[in-house]
Amino acid sequence: MSVFIEAVGFGIAAGAVIALGAVGFTVQFGISNVLNITYGALMTLAAYLGYALLGVGVAVWAALAVAAAGIALASAGLNRLLIAPLRRRGTGFVGVVIVTVAAGIIIQYCIVAIAGPDTVSYGQQAGSTVRAAGLVLTTSQLIIIGLTVAAMLALHLLLTRTQLGRAMRATSANPVVARSCGIRTERIIDVTWLISGALCGAAGVALAITTVTFDFTLGPIFLIYRIAAAVLGGIGQPYGAMLGGLVVGVGTQVAAAYTSPAYQDVYAFGLLILMLLIRPRGLLAAGTASARRLAG
Amino acid sequence: MLVYLGTDLLAAWGLNLEFGVAGVANFAYIVLVAAGAYLYAVFTLGPPAAMGGFQQYIIGARLPVAVAVALAALICGGLGCLIGVTGLKRLRADYQAMVMLVISILATTIIGADTALFNGNAGLSLIPSPLASVDPAHRGWYYVAVVGAVCAAGYLVLCRFTTGPFGRVLRAVREDEDAAIAVGKNVVGLRLAVQAVGGVYAGLSGALLAGFIGGWSPSAWEYVETLALLTAIIVGGLGNDAGVLLGVVIVPVLILQGVQFLPQIKSAPQLAGDLGWIILGLLTIAFVFARPQGLIPERRPRLGVPGVPADAGAPPARLPGGAESDVPAQAGGPVQAERPVQAERPAQAVEPAQPGGPAQAGGAAQPGGPAQAGGAARPGGPAQAGGAAPAGTLAPAVGTGPAGLAPIIAGRPPILSVDGLVRRYGGVRAVDGASFTAVAGGITGLIGPNGAGKSTVLGLVSGFVRPDAGRITFDGRDVAALPAHRRARLGIVRTFQLPREFRALTTIENLLVAAPGQRGESAAGVAAGRWLWRRDEDELAEAARGLLRLFGMAEAADERAGRLSGGQKRMLEVMRALMAGPRLLLLDEPMAGLAPALAERLEAACRQLAGAGMSILLVEHELGVVERLCETVVVMAQGKLISTGRMAELRTRKEVQDAYVVG
Repeated sequence: MSVFIEAVGFGIAAGAVIALGAVGFTVQFGISNVLNITYGALMTLAAYLGYALLGVGVAVWAALAVAAAGIALASAGLNRLLIAPLRRRGTGFVGVVIVTVAAGIIIQYCIVAIAGPDTVSYGQQAGSTVRAAGLVLTTSQLIIIGLTVAAMLALHLLLTRTQLGRAMRATSANPVVARSCGIRTERIIDVTWLISGALCGAAGVALAITTVTFDFTLGPIFLIYRIAAAVLGGIGQPYGAMLGGLVVGVGTQVAAAYTSPAYQDVYAFGLLILMLLIRPRGLLAAGTASARRLAG
Repeated sequence: MLVYLGTDLLAAWGLNLEFGVAGVANFAYIVLVAAGAYLYAVFTLGPPAAMGGFQQYIIGARLPVAVAVALAALICGGLGCLIGVTGLKRLRADYQAMVMLVISILATTIIGADTALFNGNAGLSLIPSPLASVDPAHRGWYYVAVVGAVCAAGYLVLCRFTTGPFGRVLRAVREDEDAAIAVGKNVVGLRLAVQAVGGVYAGLSGALLAGFIGGWSPSAWEYVETLALLTAIIVGGLGNDAGVLLGVVIVPVLILQGVQFLPQIKSAPQLAGDLGWIILGLLTIAFVFARPQGLIPERRPRLGVPGVPADAGAPPARLPGGAESDVPAQAGGPVQAERPVQAERPAQAVEPAQPGGPAQAGGAAQPGGPAQAGGAARPGGPAQAGGAAPAGTLAPAVGTGPAGLAPIIAGRPPILSVDGLVRRYGGVRAVDGASFTAVAGGITGLIGPNGAGKSTVLGLVSGFVRPDAGRITFDGRDVAALPAHRRARLGIVRTFQLPREFRALTTIENLLVAAPGQRGESAAGVAAGRWLWRRDEDELAEAARGLLRLFGMAEAADERAGRLSGGQKRMLEVMRALMAGPRLLLLDEPMAGLAPALAERLEAACRQLAGAGMSILLVEHELGVVERLCETVVVMAQGKLISTGRMAELRTRKEVQDAYVVG
């Protein structure tokens, strides 16, 4: 039983990181309709940025904040310089995916070229542990969970309570109509990439803190979890991704605790495939999505 | 390096078939190449213990090399199919792309973690070379010869797949999946076939490479390698096998291998490799930006109408054997030019209100009868009957209850009957218990205000929308459970409200794709060779040309469909449906946005088709057209049937007026 509870505790911590990454990813996809494979590489970049900042004596949480800001800018820049011009030219969905894969590989190999292929570590002490209701969590895990909750709450308020959030949701639902209603959709998409970039950067550093050691493949490996969480929640749906992150985190940790940790990725993948087969529109999906087929 | 070129080429060709031709973005392709290499290794290696026991793997069959290569290729074909199964649920392209990527990354992880099966990250070594008997000093060149021979054979086989009817239908699927389904193409089956063939090429490539290197390491097959192949295809030319050859020379060979010859930096020996990948990424982006069609673009076949200039913007068309037509764009113009007797009539004679009068278009638009399309055989009797539709044969239904709505037409059984159809979207009942019939050999109108559920009914009947309840009987057979493409093959063929042409295909290719039962359209048929389908193809092309003349679009035959005008695309939509051999044609607002001249031509064609015995279910907002064409008209409002009868009577009925006024 204690194995189970401990696994749940780890699962929640892992789920928080996954949710952080998955929400950014899914919001970006939902609003700009770009399947951005560069996202993983940007997470790796954030982790290395954090590593570099730690190296010059910046505190770890400050490094996280700086990395989040830096990646937010990089993400918005990527959209402005690469993705938006492509879409203006009418490049198809898969064409844009290929470009993001290419951009991801450029970033990844730039990182290798500069930082080298070896694994690195933040070398942080895990800090004191906190026990509550059988759960054992380190303070840094607790901070990450708190950070995720705060980020999710902020995103929720942004999307539901502000004019900007309404414009973002309108752009997501129908960019053409949104544009003709006077919403500057290009600006909205810029903002979306900025926000998702910040979440991506934060998730990258948080992931580096929780995994202890990492190398340049950090982002691509994490992709499985991120996509599993996003699909679980119904891609493009931020609340779904929050829930999905938690389910994937707890599910894989518990499964790994009872079998072999080596297959943790496989469980995440199994969950993903299962989901695609039985409920491809996600846990929270409403019937409305299928209405899109009506127009045919 | 030539061996690398050859094996990369095989892999790139396979991927080009999947991605370039069929549009399946298989990001997991490299996994298949890796599997081919692994399978070759374990088939040729002896049992693990006998090989010194320092590496673990399965099978260890010590098979002859040729058998091992063939087996590896075949199994990879199967694996390709397995990956293709992810598309079975008709996942959206975004989901598919994600699943493929995840499979690819996951495969590396599993292989690295599983030592019993794959010997972990260490990989396998001491794999027997296929040319063990040859003097090692010359082995390299022999190997080049072997790989070259395989490539040449691979190219010849591949050409059969990418050109001809099979390649054409794949391109159609790539351009618009739903439109391909609407003309009866089994999209899932085609994708699986393509992924099987692609898998065979991947397996072949992997096996040959493993045999050459003598080792197998999981790190050589990371997902980024798929990008290398994709880049090669994009640079060379999507869908063009010769272009891919060029692309492979440039990308994997010149760049990824070439960087190894750069001056090495001692402190960071891997830097050159990194640089290669960075260049590759930049190249991909540059090409998608500046030249998405690649260095050597996909070819555009010329099958157009002889004697007619193929390019748009060419001078007015002159049709073969006919009088010169001064106004080819005008309704009836070119068509009448074919029959000099009729050409004497002024063009305005094509007056739609005049029932049975103009006897437009010399040719029978009878689908499936290619020989008639030339313009000679005109179905005399029925053509006129369709237009005239004497009121005496029609016993208009009375009453508005569902039971009373079925029109009873003397001597003509319904070809379609729909009973209690329900379709909900969330809480909205788009179609709410609709029941009606469509007569055989007549035009049934389906009208109603916007949002009445007309298009949904068409979707339900054609199989694009699944009903929540209700029965759909076509020609005495319950078709409600059949997938859309099967219904299309039975003869229920739909058009789309917004034209959905296969953009990159030429106009005439759009028509050829739609023809049912082509022998050259299956993977097996096309592999057999050209002799099997050549005659089919010629006949179909003749039929398609006839149809193009009939609709006055002969001059646009070789134009890419994406470049047609809006009206031409609509015409194409109808022509394509006709090529699919419909028995019940479902037209979804065919007149919307059509210039009057074109609308008249289309109306005339509809009348003639019905006269020739075709059944048509017409959804249309233009009530004048409905009144002139349809014997029976079904009125829908808010998902329900509210009335049925002849248009003239319907106009006087209160419930119909209310529905249109109130909405």
